[in-house]
Amino acid sequence: MRNADRHTTAVFELKDVSVSFEKHATKHRSLKYMLTNFLDGRSSPRFQALQNISMRIEEGENIGVIGRNGAGKSTLLRVLTKVISPQHGSVYLNRSKHIVPLLELGIGFQPDLSGRENCCLAGILMGYSRREIRERLDGIMKFAELGEYIDEPVKNYSSGMYARLAFALATDVKPEVLLVDEVFGVGDEFFMRKCMVRMQRLMRAGSTTVFVSHNLDFLVTQCQRLVWMDRGSIVMDGNPLEVARAYRGSEGLD
Amino acid sequence: MDVASRRFTWFYALSQLKLKYRYTSLGFVWNFLEPALFLIVLSLVFSVVNRMDISDYAVFLFSALVPWRYFEKIVNTCMDSIVGGDWLLKKMYVSPFALPLTRWMVSSIEFLISFVIVLALVAVVEKPLTIHLIALPVAMVPWAMLGLGVGLISAVLFTFFRDIKTIVQMTLMLAFFSSPILFRADLFADSTLQASLVRWHPITYFAALFQKPIYYGVWPDQLDWVTAFAVGGLALLIGYMMVDRARSQLYYYL
Repeated sequence: MRNADRHTTAVFELKDVSVSFEKHATKHRSLKYMLTNFLDGRSSPRFQALQNISMRIEEGENIGVIGRNGAGKSTLLRVLTKVISPQHGSVYLNRSKHIVPLLELGIGFQPDLSGRENCCLAGILMGYSRREIRERLDGIMKFAELGEYIDEPVKNYSSGMYARLAFALATDVKPEVLLVDEVFGVGDEFFMRKCMVRMQRLMRAGSTTVFVSHNLDFLVTQCQRLVWMDRGSIVMDGNPLEVARAYRGSEGLD
Repeated sequence: MDVASRRFTWFYALSQLKLKYRYTSLGFVWNFLEPALFLIVLSLVFSVVNRMDISDYAVFLFSALVPWRYFEKIVNTCMDSIVGGDWLLKKMYVSPFALPLTRWMVSSIEFLISFVIVLALVAVVEKPLTIHLIALPVAMVPWAMLGLGVGLISAVLFTFFRDIKTIVQMTLMLAFFSSPILFRADLFADSTLQASLVRWHPITYFAALFQKPIYYGVWPDQLDWVTAFAVGGLALLIGYMMVDRARSQLYYYL
């Protein structure tokens, strides 16, 4: 673990956090099933998504999270954004910070609403007021390159347009804390580069970022700290180069 | 509820209403037409079956049926609001109250519109409109409280037990047919079992808040007001506590 600097303020602090899900959860959702289960004295098998995770994230840190599919990276981000309340452990969130989650592009978008209205809706969910969004709409439209399509329902958008609008919205302002889950697989090459540049600028400007990605090169060059997760636990947490080397080694890539 | 969830509830409810009427050519008129048709059919059927004076019975029936339909609509739409909101609740933090509240707001606004129909009907069948109608805006409040309360309760139950829907709907049906909405409370002699059932039926007092000003042309009794507000407030309190207790569990059942 890193030695925590006493003078900086923690943005997040997780202590011994565990999250588990029931397997075959679909069957459990009825009164009938619960009663028969109760009478038979059965309990259902559980899948451990996060296991005793403890970590502290300081203000201004740029953290990358790597790991195989199903390692618990997205679950970790959901815990940080308060979407999941863990069954065990404690989660401290610095409430004075404006946290913007970008777990998926276009969360909260309604297919029948226009791009402009969706900007308002999704922006509100990110914690902005309608006035703040209206003031930034020009910048968002410019970055998203939507032109007159901004007043079309988003169900008529191409997936690239959809992603551009969502990304522009999430990063147009300077969020104090940005949580990003692998979202750059969309859009054309040119737009992807534009996104990367914008992310780098946010990181350098002092935003605290937690970045889940499979793009190891990007993480190594942009983050000061890399966390490697596997099967719900943190395997390694520290210097990006060292963690990346160990991760590559374990996957037999070196 | 936090600021973002409050803003979201407002904006989302308004955009739902906007969407509903954006793509229909009849648009706003449809809102009047649908309840009017329903009420006309019902009044014809029942006045023929019951051999009552058509116009008189219609006024009686509509006066309490319209708020009942409003109540039923809130419960039915609130019930799957949390389960149906998984697109949002699984991805971004928003208060679990936000989606049921949105449904409640939409139903409330539509109720106000359909209510104009009732008043128009009262005028058409030449019942004099009396000063007592000014009690109606206040009479709506306990109905709204009861609807939201029962709506929140059923939203939580439905999240955990997906087969609860039929039970809730049966209960609503039972409550409807046993309450003096279709028939007049003075149908039964004072000492009969039916009369005491009606006396202990909470909906009797809710219905009286509308029947008395519209049909009888008198003010509702103190007992009507107190009972309705007490029952509505209690339902709301239970609903609030249930959602609040379940909030950390909801994610795992969506």
